[in-house]
Amino acid sequence: MKKRTLKRTLTGFWLFTLAFLYLPLTVVALFSFNASNSAARFTGFSWRWYERLLGNEEILSAFANSMVLAIVSSVIALVVGCLIGYGMYRHRHRKLGWLIVLIYLPIVLPDIVFGISEMAFFVQVHRLTGFLQPGLGTMIIAHVTFQIPFVALIVYSRFVGLDPTLFEAAKDLYATPIKRVFHFMLPTIKPALISAFFLSFTLSVDDFVISFFTAGPESATLPIYIWGAIKKGVSPEINAIATLMIAAVAIVAAISLIFSRRRQA
Amino acid sequence: MSYAGVTPSARSRAMVRESRHLLFTVAPGAIWIIIFLVLPSVYLMGVAFMTNGPYGLPEMPLSLGSFERLAGFGFLGWSPGNFYTLLRSLWQTLVSTGLVVLVAYPIAYYISTCRDKWRPILLLLVVVPSWTNQVIRTFGWMNLLAPGTPLSSLAEGLGLIAPNMGLYPSNFAVTLGLVYNFLPFMVLPLYAAFEKLDIAQVEAAQDLYASPVRAFWHAVFPQTLPGLLAGVVLVAIPAFGMYVIPELLGGGKGMMLGNLVANQFSGGANWPLGAAGAILMLIATFIGLYAMRRIGKRLGGGEEVVI
Repeated sequence: MKKRTLKRTLTGFWLFTLAFLYLPLTVVALFSFNASNSAARFTGFSWRWYERLLGNEEILSAFANSMVLAIVSSVIALVVGCLIGYGMYRHRHRKLGWLIVLIYLPIVLPDIVFGISEMAFFVQVHRLTGFLQPGLGTMIIAHVTFQIPFVALIVYSRFVGLDPTLFEAAKDLYATPIKRVFHFMLPTIKPALISAFFLSFTLSVDDFVISFFTAGPESATLPIYIWGAIKKGVSPEINAIATLMIAAVAIVAAISLIFSRRRQA
Repeated sequence: MSYAGVTPSARSRAMVRESRHLLFTVAPGAIWIIIFLVLPSVYLMGVAFMTNGPYGLPEMPLSLGSFERLAGFGFLGWSPGNFYTLLRSLWQTLVSTGLVVLVAYPIAYYISTCRDKWRPILLLLVVVPSWTNQVIRTFGWMNLLAPGTPLSSLAEGLGLIAPNMGLYPSNFAVTLGLVYNFLPFMVLPLYAAFEKLDIAQVEAAQDLYASPVRAFWHAVFPQTLPGLLAGVVLVAIPAFGMYVIPELLGGGKGMMLGNLVANQFSGGANWPLGAAGAILMLIATFIGLYAMRRIGKRLGGGEEVVI
């Protein structure tokens, strides 16, 4: 009897927490369909804020910037991080403490310290040499810096999970190291490479603080554009673009759910 | 690889080859992180010990002036502004971490009591909101807490806030935003702890006629402590350096250390002061990580707590 009350209380608390978690997102989505531009009262359904998005060139270029930034930085981080991950595995019997510290540094450093030290550095380098003008280039550099550790750790743990005799077998079978890389190593760690790429991509799209401090005047990404629009005074168009971003996340969540079920089955 | 029966010169050649391999694989990434993160951080730390120049840019001579200003000492004697900001950051971190624990603990337990096939779905439901951009999530709370919204009217009706004030901007809104933002960070490690809970210990306590409270305190709680501590580190460290949430939900009187630091690099520029704030944040981060390691070692008996 007592146990049932506990379970019921917990279920109630769970539902309450769920409402708490989804309320803000629901409100944003709901008001993106509001006919008037009031942020407090829903007056009727309309698509007008979505129609306005299509004509808003700032938003379109912010979207393009977000995509270029995420794809280019993820590709660079994948190559560099993969090399580190393999190096860490191959030389795991050596003392690599300094390398571990270096790899964990971007993960533990608070966002704001990360972003501001890069910004200060880029500004000074640009003042002295003319290189590294704040813009998409500096943002890519910053994003690669925080993506490398994640790629390296994912690739490293994939190698650790492999049977070490596989490497000996590959060595016996293939003549050149190049062949070994393309016919054995890359195909074996392909799942790790794919998940590392998607994680890097997500981290990049999700980032605001580091992008914000390393951006130039014409390299605003979607989060930076939304931030500016909120600061200037709220326009319902923000609801519409935010809802599209929430929808993208929901689709990814649904896909990951389907995959996890299939793996269970 | 075994070198038995190989001549010394061949062995040293193999070692050179291995070292070169290490260099080629690890060097690009290591150099990248050194140039684009270690160097800038070291530069920023140097800036903290320099003097504030005309446009907020750092100048020689070296001084501890920016640390004094961070503690509130300025040209006009002591003023509490910066000091309050520090206290507020600490307070917000403590309160929001405490609240997150209070919410996450029953939630993690609840998920662990559900059927196997439901658990991943319930966990996903907790995590998905944090996949959306932080700016958007905080914007959602701005919409919910603004003057004239149902929540604000309710608070007004209860006499909690002055009429037409709305629930944001306020310190309360910042706390709420922090709890919202960090809840999944606490649920995940706690859930992991509950999932591998040794139920035999709880049954033993019950067999020995322990009251439910004592059974919880002596048999359940110690087993979840490593997960709880991992969660505290995952929540408290980023909460202390939070920038977005206080900036949007806090207003001028809800500023935290992250905003103080960021402001020194934009509008009212004073790089050395901002850099001093950043150093403070770094110190707090490393104290947190170190404490976590110490406690983890004492509790876990060698089990590494993954961050």
